[in-house]
Amino acid sequence: MIKDTQRFEPFTRDPIALVNEHGEWVGPFDLDLDEEQLRTLYRDMVRARLLDERLLLLQRSGKSSFAMEAAGHEGIQIAIAHTVRRGFDWLFPYYRDHGMILALGVPAVEIFGETLATRADPAKGRQMPNHPGSKPLNAFTVASPIASHIPPATGAAISAKIQNTGQVVVTTFGDGATSEGDWHAGVNFASAQGAPVVFVVENNRYAISVDLQKQTGSENIAVKAKAYGMPGYYLDGMDVLASYYLMQEVIERTRAGAGPALVEAVVYRYGPHSSADDDRLYRPKEEVEHWKQRDPLERYRRFLERQELWTPEWEAELREAAEAELARALEEAEAAGSVPEVWMFDDVYAEPLWPQIEQRRLLEEELGA
Amino acid sequence: MATMTLVQAIARTLDEEMARDEAVVVLGEDVGKRGGVFLATEGLQQKYGPDRVIDTPLSEAAIIGAAVGMAAHGLRPVAEIQFADYVFPGFDQLVSQAAKLRYRSGAQFTAPMVVRMPSGGGVKGGHHHSQSPEAHFVHTAGLKVVAVSTAYDAKGLLKTAIRDDDPVVFLEPKRLYRAVKEEVPEEDYTLPLGQAATRRQGGDLTIVYYGTVAPEVLQAADELEKVSVHPEVLDLRSLMPWDKEAVLEAVSKTGRVMIVSDAPRHASFASEVAATVAEEVLDQLEAPPVRVTGFDTPYPYAQDKLYVPTVTRILGAAKKLLDY
Repeated sequence: MIKDTQRFEPFTRDPIALVNEHGEWVGPFDLDLDEEQLRTLYRDMVRARLLDERLLLLQRSGKSSFAMEAAGHEGIQIAIAHTVRRGFDWLFPYYRDHGMILALGVPAVEIFGETLATRADPAKGRQMPNHPGSKPLNAFTVASPIASHIPPATGAAISAKIQNTGQVVVTTFGDGATSEGDWHAGVNFASAQGAPVVFVVENNRYAISVDLQKQTGSENIAVKAKAYGMPGYYLDGMDVLASYYLMQEVIERTRAGAGPALVEAVVYRYGPHSSADDDRLYRPKEEVEHWKQRDPLERYRRFLERQELWTPEWEAELREAAEAELARALEEAEAAGSVPEVWMFDDVYAEPLWPQIEQRRLLEEELGA
Repeated sequence: MATMTLVQAIARTLDEEMARDEAVVVLGEDVGKRGGVFLATEGLQQKYGPDRVIDTPLSEAAIIGAAVGMAAHGLRPVAEIQFADYVFPGFDQLVSQAAKLRYRSGAQFTAPMVVRMPSGGGVKGGHHHSQSPEAHFVHTAGLKVVAVSTAYDAKGLLKTAIRDDDPVVFLEPKRLYRAVKEEVPEEDYTLPLGQAATRRQGGDLTIVYYGTVAPEVLQAADELEKVSVHPEVLDLRSLMPWDKEAVLEAVSKTGRVMIVSDAPRHASFASEVAATVAEEVLDQLEAPPVRVTGFDTPYPYAQDKLYVPTVTRILGAAKKLLDY
């Protein structure tokens, strides 16, 4: 339902926030989510954080080759998962969105299957960890090349518009992506077509080691929307409620025909870019500590406590449940067993062509010997 | 039967496919009001409207990338790149997205799309309107590649490409767009990918070619006939997959083979065919395979007529094969 009144203004000087660091509601309108909705947002942020920890652990213990941490990004990610129409709208995520993917409803066993390249991976072990995707939930399988999913997101939105499906496409990416030609290509085409797509930058201020000042001379990323003829919202992406309300409004406005929008969600990643990175080389520890004080989970926990929706007992309960869910899923993903070698020749084309058939035979001979 | 040029066959086929299947859409620079700079999409926007014949921004990455998303979302987009030389800003979308979507998602998402592009030299276009970039695409697993040289093949293979469930790069020899009119059946027909067409039958040597070089190859074949040399002439038509069986069979029959194309020589498709012949039927050969190709230079402007293999060069290669 599109609201009669627009709650949010684009191009604000400061990031849009509805809950302050003490957990106090500072929004200009009345909170209208019920207790269950409020609790679910917290539960899914905790699940995302715990998944993040487990994925890192799998890398550290040598079970997976690679990990990318998302701690600090949970506010905007969980908000998106709860404001799209699941399995109807389309998501074009990037490689730091596993928490969003989990909250969207992709079974954890599939995420672990992808991480460990077992038969539990719907993508059959084809990609590195942190590259999930799900057809049933319309989550376009992640590709590594930065911003290469932006023009396809626009294409899917144009298709939805042509076919009048009422679907909205939401695509996420990091701040570095906004420097790529493909980003411009996708955003500009969406604008020219009035395509129903919402572009969300999870701006954590670093593209591996390159900070935002070296990425762009622009005062922020949201203002870039102005030149594309679309609203640009400057959002505190570590405030899950602000993210929720804003994304809901923007997605439904877009669904109603208002055209594309850009949302800049200001976040911070606590960990390095990936398990192959050493962030001590490019940012001071004090800076990381500063941002951890704004932690989306802790801020929202304070809020829930003020609303008398949080107790230490409930926290322990939900953590235990989430840990159990993830442990079970991991066990199941491992038990599925590794993918067969010859699967590498499948899905190159709808049916293998003679080069794949010949080369598969060669590998089978090598392995059979 | 109707008589038409190659580019008219393309336009007619797009029209027929759009009429047959609502999911087929056309997008590219100038494809709408203008009907394409070569008129390959002439009249389509008037007939099917701007939603199905989309004038895009001047951005190959947007054109190919959006086609990927449209295809994944259920459409059958046919993208036009104005000149094959301009595909490179969209190359990442072809290589990283279109070619790998089925693979990386475990076939959860696919990209049934066609990227048409006028290719090849002989039009005084200099190096940015004359290149034949097929090797880049054939080198990218996940893409199918078609390179036609006749109106009849253009219709049958474009229909196949549009109905195919994989991304197809469809190379059209711009020099031959209006070179000749030929008879093209009015009815619906498709031609399979990976099947060569035998243009001449003979037992003395094999000439394998595709695309732009067709007139020179066929003229050289006629010249050879005049001196009682009977070439077997194969038009590959499709480069991924390509008709290895037909090539090896012909080469086994004649014992001599040249591969003719106007792409630069190094790491070319001609090289792939030559290497395959050498690997698989060396014992049938009377002479080493010969590549007759463009040169390893950027495509020149002033020497436009010398870059595409000439009849003289093809006849020279035939002599070399026969005298070996």
